[in-house]
Amino acid sequence: MNRPVVWIHGEALGPDNPALVAHPGRPAVFVFDTDLIERQGISLKRLGFLYECLLALPVTLRRGDVAAEVLAFATRHQADAVITTAAVDPRFAPIHHAIACVLPVAVLPVPPLVELPAPGRGTTEDLRRFSRYWKRAEPLIWQGWNEPGHDPITRRG
Amino acid sequence: MQSGDSPPLQAVALDWATAADDLPRTFSSREDLQQTLQQLFAQASGELSPIVGGWAAAQERLAAVDPGAYGRSRNHLDGAVTRLSPYIRHGVLGLAAVRDAVLWRISRRLEGEKLINELGWRDYWQRLWTQLGDGIWDDREPLKTGHSPESYAAELPADIATGTTGLACIDGFSAELTTTGWLHNHARMWLAAYVVHWRRVRWQAGARWFLQHLLDGDPASNNLSWQWVASSFSHKPYIFNRANLERFSSGRYCNGCQLARRGCPFAASYEQLQARLFAIEAMPPRR
Repeated sequence: MNRPVVWIHGEALGPDNPALVAHPGRPAVFVFDTDLIERQGISLKRLGFLYECLLALPVTLRRGDVAAEVLAFATRHQADAVITTAAVDPRFAPIHHAIACVLPVAVLPVPPLVELPAPGRGTTEDLRRFSRYWKRAEPLIWQGWNEPGHDPITRRG
Repeated sequence: MQSGDSPPLQAVALDWATAADDLPRTFSSREDLQQTLQQLFAQASGELSPIVGGWAAAQERLAAVDPGAYGRSRNHLDGAVTRLSPYIRHGVLGLAAVRDAVLWRISRRLEGEKLINELGWRDYWQRLWTQLGDGIWDDREPLKTGHSPESYAAELPADIATGTTGLACIDGFSAELTTTGWLHNHARMWLAAYVVHWRRVRWQAGARWFLQHLLDGDPASNNLSWQWVASSFSHKPYIFNRANLERFSSGRYCNGCQLARRGCPFAASYEQLQARLFAIEAMPPRR
C-alpha cells in the first residue's frame, strides 16, 4: 500500500478522519450517491450541508455509483489500495465489497464514545432497552474523570 | 439562507490534479453554491439551510456548549440545546471528541451528566443499527395502542407535509423542519406523536419525511425514536397535551393559533386523550 487513495463517506466528514490523518496529502474522494439521493428524496438542505462540510476537507467530489467512482478515482491516481473508515450504515458493506473485489481496502476504526467489554461467545450485546446499555456504559465513560478537589484514589472505591 | 451577497466560500486546496467532470469546489457565494447544487441535483427540493456545514461552524457550536445549562433547560424550545447533532451525525465531530470537550469543561459531574447521557443515546442507536441493519425499518415489538398495524395510513397526509393543518404548533414545526432542516427534540416528539397517534399514520411515513429534511437525519436515531413514540419500541405510546406543549414553548404557538379557543385536539387531560386515541383500558400514558 504505497500509493493508496482515501475514500471518505458521510459518517466521517471531519479533518480528524483517521484515514485522512494516516495518509496526509494522498488523493481523497467523496461520492454523492445519486441513486440513493433520488430514491429517498433527500432535500437540497442536506446536500448543501454535506457539501459545506466537504469543502473544508482536502477531497475530490464526485457523484454517481459510489464503488465505481471510487475505483475510477483510484485508477486515475494509479492507486494500489483504498483506505477508508468504519461505518455503521448497512449500505457500507456492499460498497466495500465491490471495491475490495478490485483493490485491497483498509478500514480504519473511529474512536468510540465508550469501549464495552465484548459480549460472551455466541451472544449479542443486550440492547433491548437503553437502560441496560447505559448501566454498563456510563461508569466506563466517567471512569477517568475526577471532580476537582477530589482525590482520584478515594473516588475509585 | 444568508441574505444579499455572502462572501466567497473558502475551500481547502487539493494537492492533486483534478478532472474536468469533478464537482466544483469554488463558489463566489453561498447563493452560488445553492444554484450549482440545484443544477447538479435537479430532483432535490428546496433551498440551503441557514445552518452552515463544515468544521469551523462545528467548532463554534462546540465552543458555545454549556453542559450545565443544557441539563437544566434542554426540554424547553428556548433551552440551551447544543445543536451539534448535524455535525455529530456526519462525523464532523466524533462522539469521543464531544465527550472529551464536555468532561474538560465541567467542574462537577452533575453538570455534565445529562449531556453525556444524550451522547450515550446516540451511541446506543448506532450500536442497535449495527445489530439490526435494515431491521430498523420494521416494528421492533407489537404496538401497545390497541389498534392493528393495518389501521394506520401508509402515507403522510399532505396537510402535514405542507404545514397547512391549521394547528399553529404542528404547522410551525413542519415549516421549521422543511426550511431549516433542524427541530428541537421536544418538537420532534410532539410532531411524531401527532402524525402517528392523532392522524393514525404509520411511523415509517413520518420517519421517511424527517430523513428527507433533517440535517442530522440518521436512520437509526430517527427510526428508533419514531418507534419509541409509536410504542413499537417502548412500553407505552408517547403522547402530549396542550398544557405540556404550551409550557415548553412558552405559549408561542397557542397565542396565535386560530384553534386555541375551540377545536384544539390537544386541549385535554392525558386520561381523556388516552381514551380518545387508543383502544385500550386504563393505561397510564408516558408524558
